[in-house]
Amino acid sequence: MELALIGVSHKTAPVEVRERLAFPSDKIRAALASLLEKTHAAEAMILSTCNRVEIVARGPDAKVVRDFMCEYHHIPADSIAEHLYTYQNAEAIRHLFRVTASLDSMMLGEPQILGQVKEAWRLAAEAGTIGSALSPLLDRAFAVAKRVRSETGISQSAVSISFAAVELARKIFGDLTGKTVMIIGASKMGELAAKHLKRNGVASVLVTNRTFERAVEIAKIFEGAAIPFEHFSDHIDHADIVISSTGAPHFIITKPLAEQIIRSRRNKPVFFIDIAVPRDVDPAVNDLDNVFVYDIDDLQQVIDGNMKERMKEAGRAEEIVDREVRAFYTRMQSRDVAPTIVQLRDTIEKVRREEIERHRRLLRDLPAAQQEAALAALDQVTQSLMNKILHHPISQMKEMAGDPQGADFIETVRKIFNIKSQ
Amino acid sequence: MHLSHVPSSPFTGPKAASEAYAILPRMHVQLLRLALGLYSVGLLHSVFTVLRKKQTFFKPAVVATIIGFGCHAASIGLRAYELQTVAPTQPYESLSLFAALAVLAFLVVYRKYKLSSVGILAFPAIFVMTFVANMAAANSPDSVPEVLRSRWLYIHTPLVILGYVAFFIAFSAAVLYLIQERELKAKRVFHNRLPSLEICDDLAYRSLAIGFPLMTLGILSGALWAQQELGVSWISDPKILLAFLTWGIYLVVINYRLIAGWRGKKAAYLAIAGFVGVLVTFSFQSGFHATFHP
Repeated sequence: MELALIGVSHKTAPVEVRERLAFPSDKIRAALASLLEKTHAAEAMILSTCNRVEIVARGPDAKVVRDFMCEYHHIPADSIAEHLYTYQNAEAIRHLFRVTASLDSMMLGEPQILGQVKEAWRLAAEAGTIGSALSPLLDRAFAVAKRVRSETGISQSAVSISFAAVELARKIFGDLTGKTVMIIGASKMGELAAKHLKRNGVASVLVTNRTFERAVEIAKIFEGAAIPFEHFSDHIDHADIVISSTGAPHFIITKPLAEQIIRSRRNKPVFFIDIAVPRDVDPAVNDLDNVFVYDIDDLQQVIDGNMKERMKEAGRAEEIVDREVRAFYTRMQSRDVAPTIVQLRDTIEKVRREEIERHRRLLRDLPAAQQEAALAALDQVTQSLMNKILHHPISQMKEMAGDPQGADFIETVRKIFNIKSQ
Repeated sequence: MHLSHVPSSPFTGPKAASEAYAILPRMHVQLLRLALGLYSVGLLHSVFTVLRKKQTFFKPAVVATIIGFGCHAASIGLRAYELQTVAPTQPYESLSLFAALAVLAFLVVYRKYKLSSVGILAFPAIFVMTFVANMAAANSPDSVPEVLRSRWLYIHTPLVILGYVAFFIAFSAAVLYLIQERELKAKRVFHNRLPSLEICDDLAYRSLAIGFPLMTLGILSGALWAQQELGVSWISDPKILLAFLTWGIYLVVINYRLIAGWRGKKAAYLAIAGFVGVLVTFSFQSGFHATFHP
């Protein structure tokens, strides 16, 4: 099997190049049909996202696929040569595994890419360009991505402010079901954090803002309640999580207010997420029992740590990919080796049978008993001769199965023994 | 009402016991050893997890612990059959029962809360308790003093031990709470698998709520029994006084939790103080307990 993978990604090409090479999803099926026709590929898939454009094809040389890509987009080949990467066989498999497992993503371990590869696979399957080679390859790629996700921490910890807020809230409250969140002040980041909290089970959202209309607007998004700013401290004790992002020059949540809140909550814990600059929550509030205050720097620190953790985990993920590529490539190769071995044995066996038949005619004048004995000896000798002669070539073929040069070797064997393809 | 000095057990008597003993000589000791060996997998899990700061062979530890628990339960059952009594009569037997119930409690908590991190504390504790029980088991006597064939004892000891187990869980949860709370307050970048504060707090509270009535009834039954055996002199027994003191600490915890709404850190400190009381009480052998107490 000859596998070629060509493409550009955020690592090799700026967006101006990527956008010129992109395939809109409604054009992919037609593009695949044209690809098969022009390059005589047996199978193919096109992956086109905002961060990468890649073509995987079985059959044609990588250069032919590249020429197709340039021709399709009406771009001279040498204008993108420096951005384009090409991989063949085992390296193509490795690249596909790495991409699917989100090891080649801009945000290491981000989960969207798996869905995007699945979508590309679906489109190709609909176009009828996925066959006996790409189908198991993609199945394996999805399995590898799943393994990487579950066996390493590459996608585990939050790497954005809003996810970090959810992660921290979980450390305090465990399950967020039924909790209440209060948003003080209107900001995109505050809204985003509230959105993630709500998706994670938070039941009700209270919104307060100096401009009441704005509070009503935001409350509508979350099906929550708007509270006039001057009354927010009467309601804040209902909130388990408070996201504050006002433009106020002074602290909105002072230590006495926090003390009062915790008293009326009967020590039920409260989590302040302060994403305002200057800060809205007095840092001294963090000293109170059952109160936790995280400002924007604290959250950033959590994210930085998580990012480092992901990098560390990526090393382990690469090891998994390494092993998987080797295993898959060996299996793929041995699919070609096994029939060749069988055919080789059959060819030699045929020669042997013919020779024995020839000798049967030569020996027909001997008495029956002697004839039988002679034929039996002949059979035994040729059999063991055949086994001895074939032993080394066959074990060598099995060994070469996992080797990148294995395909060439098998081809040589077929030529020497004149084994025709079935 | 005279309930003590009930010489005959619900079983057939010493004859059956000695037969069983002949067939399976010291079998309960062997089983306990086997259980200890299996629990050591859990200990290794804890050691490696702490050293490598990453959860290491947790699943094998749980499986080994489940099998170990089977052996442990068989050991306790066999011993009870040999001695024809349903309550532990030796300190090591109490410890062994305590350890077995702690294993059971750990497995239940793990199943309900999916808290694998509790294992880091629970596995070593279980191992140490079983280890100590094991050392004493080899020299265990083959008979039970008549005074311990009492119905009061059958109530008193299991109640107290169950209470201890509940307090042990409360203690573990409180320790986990304090660690997690410190990490959160310090804003340390954490990749721990510690349970959330709410789960720790909830677990500690529930275990206290279960342990406290058990302990209360346990102490009460012990007091009534001692009253019948010894008259008023039991009051001055230091071990019993310690038990009352411990009980008092837990009374305060429960009280503050319910009435003042204490939770979190303060409640956790009290739960830990209470368990220290339990340990002191348990290891203190004096007066009546030094002679007879399991």
